[in-house]
Formats: sequence, C-alpha cells, structure tokens
Amino acid sequence: MRTSLTSRLRAAARPRTAALTAAAVASMTLAACGGGSGSSDDPGTLRFGLSAEPVTLTTGVWQGSATNFVLTLIHRGLMTLDEDGELVPGLAASVETPDPTTYVFTLHEGLTFSDGSPLTATNVKNSLEYYADPANGSTLIAGLQDIASITADSDTQVTVTLEAPNNAFLEFLAVPTAAIVPDASLNADTPNIVGAGPFEIEEQNEGVGMTLAKFDGFYDAADVALDEIDVAYYPDGDARANALVSGDVDMIDYVTWENFDRVGSTDGVELAAQPGPFQYVQFNATDGPFADPLVREAVAYAINRDNALTAAFQSHGEPLEGVVTSDDPALEGLGDELWSYDPDRAKELLAEAGYPDGFSATLLATSQYTFLQDTALSVQQDLQAVGIDVTLDAPDWSGRLEKGAAGDYDLAVSGDVGIVTNPIYLLSFVQGPDNFNRSFGYANEEIAAALTDGLRATDDETRAAAYEEAFDLVATDVPFASIDTRDQAWAYSDDVEGFTNLPGFHTFFSGYTLANTSIER
Amino acid sequence: MTTYVLRRIGVGVGLVLLVLTLIFLALHLVPGDPAMLLLSQGDGGSATPDAVARVREQLGLDQPLLTQYWQFLSGALTGDLGESFRNGQAVSEAIGERLPRTLELVGLATLIAVVVGVPWGALAARRGGWFDSVTSVLTSIGVALPVFVFGALLVLLFSLKLGLLPAGGFTEWGDDPARHAQLLVMPAIALAVGFASTVARMTRSAVLEMLHQDWVRTARSLGLSRRTVFRKYVLRNSLNPVVTTVGIGVGTLLGSTVLVERVFSYPGLSSLLVDAVTARDYPVVQGVVITIAVLFVSINIIVDVLYGVLDPRVRR
Repeated sequence: MRTSLTSRLRAAARPRTAALTAAAVASMTLAACGGGSGSSDDPGTLRFGLSAEPVTLTTGVWQGSATNFVLTLIHRGLMTLDEDGELVPGLAASVETPDPTTYVFTLHEGLTFSDGSPLTATNVKNSLEYYADPANGSTLIAGLQDIASITADSDTQVTVTLEAPNNAFLEFLAVPTAAIVPDASLNADTPNIVGAGPFEIEEQNEGVGMTLAKFDGFYDAADVALDEIDVAYYPDGDARANALVSGDVDMIDYVTWENFDRVGSTDGVELAAQPGPFQYVQFNATDGPFADPLVREAVAYAINRDNALTAAFQSHGEPLEGVVTSDDPALEGLGDELWSYDPDRAKELLAEAGYPDGFSATLLATSQYTFLQDTALSVQQDLQAVGIDVTLDAPDWSGRLEKGAAGDYDLAVSGDVGIVTNPIYLLSFVQGPDNFNRSFGYANEEIAAALTDGLRATDDETRAAAYEEAFDLVATDVPFASIDTRDQAWAYSDDVEGFTNLPGFHTFFSGYTLANTSIER
Repeated sequence: MTTYVLRRIGVGVGLVLLVLTLIFLALHLVPGDPAMLLLSQGDGGSATPDAVARVREQLGLDQPLLTQYWQFLSGALTGDLGESFRNGQAVSEAIGERLPRTLELVGLATLIAVVVGVPWGALAARRGGWFDSVTSVLTSIGVALPVFVFGALLVLLFSLKLGLLPAGGFTEWGDDPARHAQLLVMPAIALAVGFASTVARMTRSAVLEMLHQDWVRTARSLGLSRRTVFRKYVLRNSLNPVVTTVGIGVGTLLGSTVLVERVFSYPGLSSLLVDAVTARDYPVVQGVVITIAVLFVSINIIVDVLYGVLDPRVRR
C-alpha cells in the first residue's frame, strides 16, 4: 500500500512553506464564510470518518476493525451478509449442499477482479487453500480445517468436500478476510488490495485518507448507489464525533461511549448501536490460585457486571453472565446464565479452595483503551470486596499484548470481538496455542470436544445438547469470567439511507451494507 | 569565527548521534512487539505464534540487537531511514509529507503570535492603567490554558455552534486551497494563544525596562517626540529579548503540535510520531526523532552563531 502516484505528484507540486503560510492567511478571510461542509457535496459521494488508518492489507490476516472495514468494501467472499445480517451467497450465485460434507458453489457469470482479470473457480480453490493453511496466519482455521478437497469443476463451479460436517463453514466464508483474491495476492508481501467487491481503491493518502470508487465489475454493481466513498482518518473519538456533528463527514464508525448521547441527540444524525463484542477476565492458569477452577469460579461470581458497564461504557451495553451465543433459535437461552453477581458465593468458593483470608494478585489491563482500564478498576473493587487484593498493571496496548502472550499476569481484563457468531468461536479459548487474550496455560479438551460435537451436528437437537454440555463445563471450569457486551455504534447523517449496523459480532462487518447504501442530499 | 562555527557543528553532529543511539535503545528496551501489534490491531483475532514469528523475520526483528543497530545507523548515515512496518512507505517519504504540514502549522502560529503579541505587549507597557491590567490577566490565562482545552473550545464555538469552520481533518493545498486554509485556522490559533501571550508578556516587560533607561530621557530632552523615541529607540531595543523568546518558543510549539494535531485530526509530523510509537513502528519513530533532533540542533547552532556574531565574547 504505497503512496499513490497522485499523492506523489501532489507532494512534488507542493509550494514552499513560507509562501503557503502567507497564502493561507490571505485566503482565510475568503474561507471563513465557506461553511463547515466538506469539499464534496456530490450525491454519489459518501464522506466517511474512519477511526484508524488501515495498515498494509495482508491476505487472510486479521488486522483489526479499520482494516476489516476496508476489506468489506473492496472484497467479497463466496458468502456475505445481507442488510439483516443474514448469511447469503456473495460471489457465489448459489450454494448447494447435497450432503452435510459437500458444498457446491456456482459463481456469478463473468466475474472479474478490479484489476480486470477474470475471477474463476481456480481462484476460489487457490484462495481457500491458502486460508486453510495454518502457516499463512489465517484466523479462519477453525472453519476451514475440515476441508478435505476443493475441486474446480468448471470456470464457474467449485465443489468443496469436508472431512466432517461443519455448520460454521459457510459463516466463515463470509468473514472479510475470507475474500476471493487473485493468485498474485496469495502471499504475505503483496498488498491485498485487488478484489471483486463493490468498490476499488482509487487513491491513498498516507495519514489523511483514501478514496474508493465504485467497481463496475462487481456482480451486483447495478444496485450500488454510491459512486465514491471518501474516507478520512479521525483517530480521536471526540474529533470523529465532531466531524459528523458539524457535517464534515456523513458517517463515522466506532462512536466512543461518552459521545453516544451527544451524537444520538443531534438533529439530523442517526446513532446505530448494537451490542457486539464482549469483555471478560482471563486467568493465568499455569500455577498459583487461578490454576484452581474454584478460584476462577469465585471471580466469576464476584464481578458486579452492572458496575463495570457503568464505569466503562456509561451503561451502553449488557451485563454478560455467561457466553455470547448466536441468535440461532435452536440455541436460545443456552449459556446465558452461567454465573451471577454473588459475592457471598464467591467468598464460599474461595474458602473451599483454601483461601478463606484471600490473597494478592496482579490484574493486567491497558491504559490505551480506557474502556478496558475502567472495566479493570471496577473488577479490582469487586475482587477486593471478596478478599483478593488486586494490583493493577496498565501498560500501553503493545506492552499489554506482550505481557498477555507471555503469561506475565495473574488476572487480566480483556475484550474479544469474535469472528463468527457460531459458538465455535469459543474453541480458541480452550484449545490451541496460547495468545494474549485467552487464559494463559489453560486448556480443556472436554469443552473442546463438546464444542466440536456441536459444530459437527447436523440437526438442532444434537447441536443444542452438545453446546449445553460445553456450557455446563464452562460454568464450573471457567476458562474466562464474562463481564459484559458493549454497544458498538456507527453514526450517520439522516441523508444516508440503507446502511445497517449488523448485530452481534457482525457489527464490524457492517461495511458490507454500504454496497446498498445511498445518500440523498 | 570559522573554528567556532565548525566546533558548534561538530558538537551538533555528536548530539544527533547520541540521540540516534538513545532512541534506538529506548525503543528496543520498552516492552511491546511490533510484529504482534501488526497482527493484533484492536482486539480479537489473536495471531498464532507462527504468524508472529514470520512477521518478526520479515521485519528483521529476529536479528541480534547489534546487527539491527548497525543496519539502522549505516542506513541513517546514508540518508536511508528504512520503511514503515505498518504500510511499507519509505520513512523519508512519510517525513517529507508530514514535516511541511507541521512546519506550516508552527509557522502560521508563530506569525500570529508575533503579529498579535508584540504590538499588544508594547501597547500594554506604553499605555499602562486598565489596559495593562487586562493584558496581564488575559496573558496569564493564555499561558496557563492547555492547547487542547483551547482547541476543544474553538471547535465547540466555530464548528459545532456557528458552523463556520470544519471541525478537523486535512486537505492538500493543491486540491482545495480554501478548505486547506479553513482547516489550518483553528489549529494554528489554538497553538498560537499560549505563545502570543508569552510574547506579549516578554515584550511588555522589555519595553517597560527600556522606557526607564537614561538614554530615553536624554532622547526626549533633545526634543524628539514621544512617538519617535518609542518607535525608533525603545521598541527596536526591546526586541532583542523578544527574538530570543520567539526562538525558544518555536521549539516548544513543535512539542505542542502533538495535542493540537490530535484534537484537529491534522496529519502532521507529531501525529505520525504518536501513531508510530503506539504501533512500535521503529523505523518511523527513529526517523521522526532524528528529524526533530536535527531541527533542534540546527536552530541551536544558528542561534549560537548569531550570538557569536553579535557578541564576540561568546566565541571564546
């Protein structure tokens, strides 16, 4: 993702600073009456304020929500999400499942990538094989590990055979990092900017923003109303909200919680909030008190979730007394109430574990994301109330990651966005290599097996039974202690039509709905 | 004089080398792994250890510290500051883009500070009375008010209430000069307020001191008008300490841009540095720090040399 030619030319043509300053002063008088609106009032252009500058896009790698946003615009996978958050075919015109381990995808006719090259079944095969290989750093392994074979039957038909049924398979194919890309992008060095999505990157200006133009080769191009998306970077939450409220931009992502009320009560501005990611306490389970499930369970009972919500999110979220599950009717109510706020129960459990007088522990948080720090402060109070004397450790995010990955903590407050809503997302908390946001040294093969049974299930009853077993185990072994889900909000001017903040973990993939968004000025 | 200048430049080069080494060591000693950060932006989607290791290898972070230092040093000495870990952009190119924006901001703020501060301070000294008292109060507030507070107040008034100016962001001069200027006004004013106050206070006390000099009385007794004495002798002589204040102030302004650029989402050098530190983007941090160090050392050398020209005693 190098600077584009245009911005280089511009840099070369830039006048010298002194002359510029003088000219700036001169034009100020002219400018002052220009009003606060942006340079572009074109009805086909959406001016978007993005919370971070995306890093160089690397194929298949999860690089955060700003990057995912761009991916939802320039890429498409075989599957995608519609404006209701329903899983629907994307590049595939149709999907057939003749048996639980066979998927036949028929691609739209005449697909091309934004560089003009044709998109064929072979590209699909190569892309999926790339994502299924753990060596490529893909976060889709849980969904694609069961692939036994991929065959390109014709230019427009692909058959994927799984070793075992996997009811999250299609959902994984709708994740923005599962996009079908040209073979030339299937490596870690080529910026992953060529796709077959509704938009293509027209220009990038490092540190300032990027311009995306409608891609006419998109399979659903006729329904794409926007000609252009003008993205400007506003890393500061207040500055981003100000930009929207003052009319500098039409839409922003990630409204910070302290700005919810102000943005939501502004005339002509819409705040779309959905409970999405969740916060939890993770444990160092290698040795010491937190290796004991009773102590972990005590922590789960000691947390006052309402207080944590108020402290960190000004109550913009929901207390979470169990695990986040999909809104699948077959799983309704499962795993919702594993723990509650019960300090007396917590004290009993601690006494049972041999700590009637409590003990001391360190709690890792981060100073960089204030919501995690505020959550940690609330948790610290709760734990102190049941006798665990907690010392807070709040390095910046980078330090937090390193300490988390090295297990340099007793307790930590963390957040996770989940990649899919299928409960299989819990697998990475109980199995696989240690990472910064799961309990260090923790593994539970029984839970992993039950979750996998749920994933393999082909009927709702078996599925529900498997997850019930998994969540029962979670309740007493406590791989993590849930705190709350936080509302994640996008906000936009009333002029914007057709955008939806997708519910749950899918909130970060809401950029998909910009393909059907229009603007009426 | 030549020896003096050469000696100053020699010391300057030594200082830059020292800063270069210190920043390299500081960056590598502070906890935080750029590779892990690159793969774990925000939360969720935690990267596998394999993936992290691969990125570390790509970025050359698996090399011994001494090797990395030597690569950095030899690169820096030949003008190659490396490439950003995050977006692969050449660091020198990134600085080339950002530095003029920050200099533009600082330049405009300095201009405002001088144009407002000097006449204001001079007037306060000359008129005295209530005007002087009001000046004293206002400049105290101006000096004490943090730039981000003043910046936020400006946004509240001019963008959110009156809708006169955009709340923040950046547009290239070549794209839209009017909007470029609009976007520059508030950050520059926010930056200039404290500086203008300092300049006004300095000017005021310098002018007051001059007004009580014997030679002022002599000039008046020779029949020169108050106005002529003030303009030709008092003000001109008062400006020496003011020039020093401005010189030092520009350096302070460079530091203040960190907050101003944040409040106004202005993509200058300071915001590049802050983002790079947060992302542990070593090449960018090193490049920006070297640039700032060279700027500071150069300003110091110029000031020292000017002193040397004005007052031969310091050359010894």
